[in-house]
Amino acid sequence: MSFRNPVKVLLLSILSGFILLSSAFGWEESQDIAYRLKWLANTSTVGDLYADARGMFAENGLKVLVKPGGPERDAIKELELGRAQFGVASADQIIRALSKGAKIYVLAQIFQVNPLQWIYRPDKSPLDKPADLKGKIVGITYGGIDENIMKALLSKYRISESDLTLYSVRYDFTPFYQRKVDLWPIYRNAQGPIIGNKIRDAGEKIDYFDPDAHGIHTVANSVITSEEVLNHHPQMAARFMSALIKGWELSMDPVNAEKAVQTIRQFDRDTDEDIIREQLALTRQFVKPRKDVPFGRIDVPAWKQTEEMMVAQKLILRPIGIDKYLKQAK
Amino acid sequence: MLHKRIYQFLIVYAVGLSVLFLVKYGLNLSDYVIPPPKEVWITGQKYWLEYLREVLDTLSVAVFGHILSILLAAVVAVIGRLTNWVGSFIKMGAYNIQSYPIVAVAPIIFILFGDGIAARLLITVMICYFPLLLSFIGIFSEPVYHIEHFYTATHRLTWGLSLRIRVFENIAKLVTVISGSATVAMVGTIVAEFIAADDGIGYRIRIALYQSDLSKILTALFLIGICTSLYLLSLEYIGLRIRKRPGISAGSFS
Repeated sequence: MSFRNPVKVLLLSILSGFILLSSAFGWEESQDIAYRLKWLANTSTVGDLYADARGMFAENGLKVLVKPGGPERDAIKELELGRAQFGVASADQIIRALSKGAKIYVLAQIFQVNPLQWIYRPDKSPLDKPADLKGKIVGITYGGIDENIMKALLSKYRISESDLTLYSVRYDFTPFYQRKVDLWPIYRNAQGPIIGNKIRDAGEKIDYFDPDAHGIHTVANSVITSEEVLNHHPQMAARFMSALIKGWELSMDPVNAEKAVQTIRQFDRDTDEDIIREQLALTRQFVKPRKDVPFGRIDVPAWKQTEEMMVAQKLILRPIGIDKYLKQAK
Repeated sequence: MLHKRIYQFLIVYAVGLSVLFLVKYGLNLSDYVIPPPKEVWITGQKYWLEYLREVLDTLSVAVFGHILSILLAAVVAVIGRLTNWVGSFIKMGAYNIQSYPIVAVAPIIFILFGDGIAARLLITVMICYFPLLLSFIGIFSEPVYHIEHFYTATHRLTWGLSLRIRVFENIAKLVTVISGSATVAMVGTIVAEFIAADDGIGYRIRIALYQSDLSKILTALFLIGICTSLYLLSLEYIGLRIRKRPGISAGSFS
């Protein structure tokens, strides 16, 4: 075959492009269900992993591919592009997407209390009340939910941003280790035992500043699906959610703690079992803070507060009426 | 009149944007996944000046990092061409450093240099110098027999003289390699800002990514493209002036 003819080359290129695009956008038929997590497989995803590894999806007649997430992987986009049928996203991501016309629904809220807190050294930076933040150097991820939470807290307690120094944080904790920053945002259940233990091992005291304890109730990881799945495959969605809730219930039951630890170890071989045990105990407090709270309950007031916070900070132009998009899975 | 480098970039950008909008409307995707043209336009109008300052900040670091990369690659290549143990050790060290992913090395860089300009420069140099090094090693190690044999025969060929001959005879190649690596310097700086800075367009792109704001990213990409094209243009102009100097176009050292 000759490639000298430029028209032929162009046509071939266009054809190859279409083939690549069609596979990239998942136009091919697939029987599998893809479930995109928000973050890497770790203790924060224990229920999802448990449902997968212990056969709960299979028991409900589903073949589910659980895909780890990451900073550049957005479950909402994957739902729209048809690469996933279910996913996990945080409330701010979901509200932002809905404000831009995404057709998605929330089926369950995994974390009843947002595990995002700030780690600090109480001897260096005593912190009893929000007003004590004045004069401190506080780490925030610009553009991240922790920025919104901190700004909402400052606004609630009438603390001006000029009363403290906001420090832009990244993945690396070095500035906190080096004491350049007083408070550093951290996921209490997943990162707390690792970072906290490291600092304690160095002979330093640590504590956590919890915005939830000061009235900033925001929503973290929640399970979402697309309008298309909910309208056209409601039975499949119900079976998926039933298996997922069961996975979370069983993995959070202290009786199954060792099974849960071993399940996490299958996917996360880099974290010590003792750390995972500690993470698991902490995760339980955020997923099921009280006995009367059912797994996956959607905390409507917390969603509304998150939405109000985003409107106040001009992250969305106008309220979207978030309750319309909350479809509690039975 | 726009220089061809600029309008070539504009064509590529326009084609890329059109494909994106084609996918958006073809697949009926929401504005969250791909923003509509109007939103991109409004965001561009709102942020272009702010982002231009950031791009220029990035470009200044990229230019400085590029110069450092050229110097570093030249030094390593000169030492690396030595056949003794030191030469091979330096070369091996340079290759090994290149094989480490920057994100894994970043914590060490933070400890040593903090997260300011020094870290940005170092990461830029680490990303940019390697392609230069490979070319420099190739050029510096390749004897120009038709000239060098005269000096070899008269026992007057020193390593400095042979290096000068090889640089002089390959000046066109060197200019092409150096101007080509400008884009790598820019990319290196953006990566550095993405992981290790509070300034520059890479840092702003990181924030926009957190906010899933593709309009801001598209605005940033447009400005990065324009500024990089202008930088390339300047380098090509300098290269042209060097090649037009008497004697060089003839490629004659003798």
